[in-house]
Amino acid sequence: MTNKTSILALSRRRFLGGAAALGGLVATGWTGKAFAQEPEKPAEIIVRAWGGSWVASLQAGVSDPFTAATGIAVRHDLTEDNEIQPKVWAAVAQGRVPPIHINWDTTTNATKSALRGITEDLSDLPNLANVTELAKPVGLEGYPIVNTYGYVYVLAYRPSAFPDGPPTSLQVLLDPKFKGRIALYNDGIGFHFPAQVAGGGKLEDIPGNMEPAWEFIRKVKEQQPLLGEDPDFTNWFQNGEIDLAVTISTNAREAMKNGIDLAWTVPEEGSKFETDGLWIPKGLPENELYWAKQYINFALTKEAQQVWLDGLGLPGVVPGLTPPEGLAGDPSYPTEPEDFKHLIRVPTAIQVEHESEWFSAFKSIMQG
Amino acid sequence: MTSQAEAVAPRSSLPVAVSVQKVDMTFDGFQAVKGASFDLAEGRFLTILGPSGSGKTTLLRMIAGFQRPSAGEIFINGVPVSAAPPHKRSIGMVFQKLALFPHMTAAENVAFPLKMRRFDANTIPERVKRYLDLVQLGPYADRRIHQLSGGQQQRVAIARALVFEPDLLLLDEPLAALDRKLREEMQLEFRRIQRELGVTTINVTHDQREALVVSDEVIVMDKGVIQQNAAPAQTYRTPANAFVAGFIGVTNFLSGKVVAVEGANLTYEAAGEAMQGHWSAPGAPQLGATVTGALRAEQIRLAASVAELSACQTVKTGVVTDAIFEGERIVYEIALTGAPGTVLRAFDHDPVTHKQFAIGETMAMGWNARDVLTFPN
Amino acid sequence: MPKSAYLLRWRVMDGLEALVAAIWPRHFHRALPYVMLLPAVLLVLLLVIGMIQIGDSSARTLDRSTFLPSDFYTAGNYQRIFTDGLYWSILWRSLLGSVIVTALCLVFAFPYSYLMVRTPSALLRKFLLIALFLPFFIGQVVRAYGWLIILGNQGVVNEMLGLIGVAPIRLLYNYPAVLFGLVQYMIPFAVLMLAPALTAIPEEMESAANSLGANWWRTFIHVVLPMARPGLVGAGLVVLTLSLTDFAMPAILGGGSQDFIANAIYDQFFRTSDQGMGAALTLILVGVGSLLVGVVFTLFGAGTLAMGRDRK
Repeated sequence: MTNKTSILALSRRRFLGGAAALGGLVATGWTGKAFAQEPEKPAEIIVRAWGGSWVASLQAGVSDPFTAATGIAVRHDLTEDNEIQPKVWAAVAQGRVPPIHINWDTTTNATKSALRGITEDLSDLPNLANVTELAKPVGLEGYPIVNTYGYVYVLAYRPSAFPDGPPTSLQVLLDPKFKGRIALYNDGIGFHFPAQVAGGGKLEDIPGNMEPAWEFIRKVKEQQPLLGEDPDFTNWFQNGEIDLAVTISTNAREAMKNGIDLAWTVPEEGSKFETDGLWIPKGLPENELYWAKQYINFALTKEAQQVWLDGLGLPGVVPGLTPPEGLAGDPSYPTEPEDFKHLIRVPTAIQVEHESEWFSAFKSIMQG
Repeated sequence: MTSQAEAVAPRSSLPVAVSVQKVDMTFDGFQAVKGASFDLAEGRFLTILGPSGSGKTTLLRMIAGFQRPSAGEIFINGVPVSAAPPHKRSIGMVFQKLALFPHMTAAENVAFPLKMRRFDANTIPERVKRYLDLVQLGPYADRRIHQLSGGQQQRVAIARALVFEPDLLLLDEPLAALDRKLREEMQLEFRRIQRELGVTTINVTHDQREALVVSDEVIVMDKGVIQQNAAPAQTYRTPANAFVAGFIGVTNFLSGKVVAVEGANLTYEAAGEAMQGHWSAPGAPQLGATVTGALRAEQIRLAASVAELSACQTVKTGVVTDAIFEGERIVYEIALTGAPGTVLRAFDHDPVTHKQFAIGETMAMGWNARDVLTFPN
Repeated sequence: MPKSAYLLRWRVMDGLEALVAAIWPRHFHRALPYVMLLPAVLLVLLLVIGMIQIGDSSARTLDRSTFLPSDFYTAGNYQRIFTDGLYWSILWRSLLGSVIVTALCLVFAFPYSYLMVRTPSALLRKFLLIALFLPFFIGQVVRAYGWLIILGNQGVVNEMLGLIGVAPIRLLYNYPAVLFGLVQYMIPFAVLMLAPALTAIPEEMESAANSLGANWWRTFIHVVLPMARPGLVGAGLVVLTLSLTDFAMPAILGGGSQDFIANAIYDQFFRTSDQGMGAALTLILVGVGSLLVGVVFTLFGAGTLAMGRDRK
């Protein structure tokens, strides 16, 4: 709470000191110009990010231009999102300065931190005026997080294994031909909801009755699926270990860039649609908080989003972006309302509350 | 001379238990044993004596079966055994460090060979008890090895090596690590048990005193070659060569060129002085040849003046450079007059009545020509 | 200057001694051993404090509306662990795995250590030692990834099988693969613990058993094996506890479906943000591990870890 008042105090001081300058910043979104009354610049700000093509895209689209405009260096901390979370929580709980300025996080994970009350409110970012509805976290007050893009847990496949055409339904996972050659996330993330449909259940029954999902997953277990995390899928496709996987399209795209023949589809049961976002932990010094907000604000500009999301091959939250080559109209790149027809979105609040049950139910089946 | 003959006499009348014939052992080009041959009659106690590296242990290990000769053959009771592994031979061995099994009691150690050699299980306890009694360890049967004293451990090792009544007992310097008093006690114990059981025994040691005390026969080895094989007294009195003379007892060596020969007696020039000696090697001495004379310290008689030694054939004077009082004797080191650098060692065996000479005093030394055993150089 | 007769080094040392005497008077000397123990005691103390905190959080369940631990104590986490078949199967898998890995490691490490200790060839000994220490420079994770490359569907092994016309076989991502990886990882530890114990058995012991009528096999069974027991117990304990608590091999070679307890703990701490559950699982792992070590101590003694005290 004291933090919040100090931000207000800061804003007021800034307002009194240089209302014109502030106005300029709001009007232009981001100009990169230095203002006399700006708080002192830190030598660097630290952004937690995922490695590989993920951080490369962020660096090209956001971090490098930000440094060029402000002179503030950006350091990328590649600690896993799940591992940085308890560190940040502990730092805030103990009143220490958190280890990072900005966390690039899944919306579900970020929501847990928001519910814990350790995220800074980002409602005053000027560029939020220009974003699509996707940027706003559902079921939370204000902007404790800003979503920056969406992604789809597609059904990725190796075309050479499907001479009769691409798979259309998740039932293909049960084909004896693919025993031992399919892969899922090791906690089943992205698969629970389509499995509910594939098992004959209804999405409306989530979270009340998910038995159809577990029934279907039990059948999939008989197929001896490999279970892993993002980098594993890319490896497995590249090393010929698997023919089918439910994974984020970015991972399949990464393997494709390395010359592996891959394709993906949204099956008739639908695919889970999710978002990632950026947030700032509480407990930063005022000036660093200010510049961390400027970083996120910049990440919401059209220029930044265009480069960043070209790298990831994912749809952003600013209207008018040009889709990366070959992705226009792709099921993994939804932009129009009808694109979302086959995509499954479950409110973050429900996911946050029940996710660990689902993970543990999935693990119970797979570890049994 | 007669006493020596008695000791060696029964040799040919008993069957041969161990026969070693022209045995060689080579490790990586190094010849550890060269052409070793000897016969050992049943029930006799042989000691192989030599400095470390002389090949004595290698010879013993070949008899035991731990090493296979590079050439030659070993017979036990007339049977060639070179191809047989140790556990197929009937040989009891007491090891240098005893090698008692620490995870077993004394009785279990003694029972071990009986179990391994598949003796009738019903007879084992009785037999173990008999052998523990033989080494006077009956009350200690259930003690663990580390609960026994050094001497008691020796006895367990003997009992274990003998309990299966082997054809041959081998002793690999088992007494080397003991203190002197215990070592002398155990030497007599070995002798007693060996006589009691009549087991053919081969002992290896570098301790000349042990060899003389316990053995019926002594083999002296050096550089892988058997130097002499004889009864203990004979080894001492008539060493086969300068090495044996030097290895057994405290011996002074004086070498020089032969200047006169008269039968087995000869005169040679050592350290500028004429020296009478007795030819102790095969063949005859040659004029002008270099020879070495060996004179035992105890053969040198000592006196204050030359006149007192008129009974000796050779009398010399010298200056005392060191005098060590050892209790039962005084050891003198005396620099020979007229022969700088030549120091003789001599004993005075009556330190109670004799006066001890001080360092720097001049004294007279005397000996007879037959005391100087002369060997070709 | 009479002092200049002494070496400078002496004077410096005298000065240092005087300084030490001033700040550390003689009558304190008896405390010196305890002072030197201090770092170790502090380290253990820190662990104890950590355990107390873990114990505290294990007794609090996670409130999913605020993602904060409950402010009251409850046995809820333990209840969940003991009633959920998932944790029983993970616990059983870890226990069984560590026992199998320990047994295999001892079987493989024994001849290796024996050869290393007994070989007369210095070259062979050096080779065995290097082969033993080389893997220590390659971390566990890197080694696991190495196995992915070697045993994968397009890996060296399957390529060779392909040459004789065998279709690729799934060698990875199953329980045997995890155990294989663990055995390969643990063997050097077992050899390191066994070698000193075997060195302590004089070669003469084996010669003695030989001469007393025991062939190679009976010498091994009746003499070498019993005398190597302290080493076997020590090596067994190290491998057992390290395997039971291993994370990387099940994570990498298990293909996600062969979790050990450590993986379940990781999931709770880092995937579902449930520190309470993670803490409860941690304490159970500590408990099970201690119990196992206790059982081994009772059955076989403490081995080399007893520092010779129980060898009487």
